[in-house]
Amino acid sequence: MSKLKGIYTDIVKIRRMVFAELARLALKDAECEEFDKIPYRIIDTEEATYRSSIFKERAIVAARVRMGLGMDYETNQEHKLLSEGIRDFLKNDNQLKEPLVNVIRFACEKCPTNAHFVTNNCRKCLAHPCSIVCPVDAITIEEHAAVIDQEKCINCGKCKEACPYEAIVNYERPCAAACGVDAIESDDYDRAKINQDKCVSCGQCIIACPFGAIADKSMIFQLLKSIKRGEDVRAIIAPSFVGQFGPLVSAEKIVAALKELGMKEVREVSLGADFASLHEAELFAEDIPEKQPYLGTSCCPSWTYVADKHVPEVKDNISESSSPMIFAAQSVKENNEDSKVVFIGPCVSKKLEALSDKVKEEVDFVITFEELAAIFVAADIELTKVDAEEEIRDASYYGRAYANAGGVAEAIRQNLKEKYNINPPITKADGLADCKKTLIKAKAGVLDGHLIEGMACEGGCVGGPGTLLATKRGAKYVDKFAGESPYKFAFENEKLNKKEKKE
Amino acid sequence: MVKVEICVGSHCSLVGALNILETLEELQEEYPDQLKIERVECMDRCGDIKNAPVVKVDDDLITSAQTQMVISKVMERIK
Ligand code: SF4
Ligand code: SF4
Ligand code: FES
Repeated sequence: MSKLKGIYTDIVKIRRMVFAELARLALKDAECEEFDKIPYRIIDTEEATYRSSIFKERAIVAARVRMGLGMDYETNQEHKLLSEGIRDFLKNDNQLKEPLVNVIRFACEKCPTNAHFVTNNCRKCLAHPCSIVCPVDAITIEEHAAVIDQEKCINCGKCKEACPYEAIVNYERPCAAACGVDAIESDDYDRAKINQDKCVSCGQCIIACPFGAIADKSMIFQLLKSIKRGEDVRAIIAPSFVGQFGPLVSAEKIVAALKELGMKEVREVSLGADFASLHEAELFAEDIPEKQPYLGTSCCPSWTYVADKHVPEVKDNISESSSPMIFAAQSVKENNEDSKVVFIGPCVSKKLEALSDKVKEEVDFVITFEELAAIFVAADIELTKVDAEEEIRDASYYGRAYANAGGVAEAIRQNLKEKYNINPPITKADGLADCKKTLIKAKAGVLDGHLIEGMACEGGCVGGPGTLLATKRGAKYVDKFAGESPYKFAFENEKLNKKEKKE
Repeated sequence: MVKVEICVGSHCSLVGALNILETLEELQEEYPDQLKIERVECMDRCGDIKNAPVVKVDDDLITSAQTQMVISKVMERIK
């Protein structure tokens, strides 16, 4: 997990302020020119604070504004007011399009890729074991210290081990180190560049970059406009939501606040998780091992993209079942045909899932908890003071526990045990790199007979890039909330039975 | 005993109050008898979000609070 996950930095602050500004302008039906002011409102100092120049700081905010609206990244080669581009975009289809995760190229500080450096701990010692152990003769002892010739260095790390003063450090590019599928390469200027053929839109690099040079796109603006137009917008909220908005804000208060914002209805995505876990248990019971050797879960889109893009041979063994998001959205639309559904979650790649042909009709918007928190601020909804009336009880214990690593497989296993008397071996892939490794193992046949859970974010959905809480804290809230569910197993969920009976 | 009131309202939470709280809670594990943390509703000081997060260390009101500021204030008093 990136070291920056869960730490509040100025990067986080700027990102959230941009979201809040976009929400504010959406809510007040502002003129397009107002967008030009956002960079000045957010960077309101006289001199630069973070970068070489204040103009660059503002240009980066402007790039974030564009992406926050769902627009493409643009180079700074053409003269154009921010608002001009926005006007065209909003006039036309104003839909977010791939690529979802982008490097803001002029914000990238070109961190060296995996390199060894000599720090000033070096005492230029007489023994200089570093240069003796180096297998490619890359180290020379210069006037003040040892120097590593980066052209020759093969990053074997032997010098680092040998130095008695811990003078040699190794660091990787933070963005590339966070990317478990090696999608981050370099452009001609040595800046980070995402290879979209490899990227699975997990969003971990967004959190990991210490210069805030990577951002995803958002649908905040489109969502709020839809509410403002008076459309029938209904929310489905992912199981990791509890606790994300602070210790005084209960699940019920979050629901009440969403209604205050204009949502007609709020449902737990865990309801969809109950449905999905039953469906996947059924698939497992019917197909394993006769029709397919093992079953991979379906709920993490990045995990399924790892299969698509990196280990295509295993694709057919990842469940075809729809994700909890889709089931939850369908359960809303079933009774409310003309409604629009917004998925609120911790997840970046769900934004992409929602754009796919299969899901487009079901889910209209996807926003993150972080984006929602900014919306509440822009709308001046004080979460600690909203009145919560109704209890929410849409899902079972195991459905709510989907948000923690291991929760998905456990929910499916419980169904298999109780309904089919099967207790399969379980393999859990936790984090993107682990997802890829696990799928390669599966391809080799090592995991035959297994139920395989894949989560691109370490710790499960509570570790998602769109969360506000540190992963461990979020996990605790999820456990507690799961314990408060009126049902233990998915098949005991009354709301679900109603739906199943109908079919 | 140092008493810290930390606002966990919408504005303050958006701009880092939850992270300050987390560090405070870690500190409390070290000094269970010397530190009392109260999580409070919006203190109505966030009209301009630049003032958030708002934290009170005993009678000392800190606006635009940052973790290191709050912790050093608390530590001064614990000693
Ligand atoms: S970590 Fe950030 S600044 Fe460094 S190379 Fe990656 S994108 Fe660029
Ligand atoms: S796969 Fe994830 S970490 Fe890698 S480039 Fe894409 S979004 Fe970033
Ligand atoms: S949210 Fe902290 S003062 Fe209002």
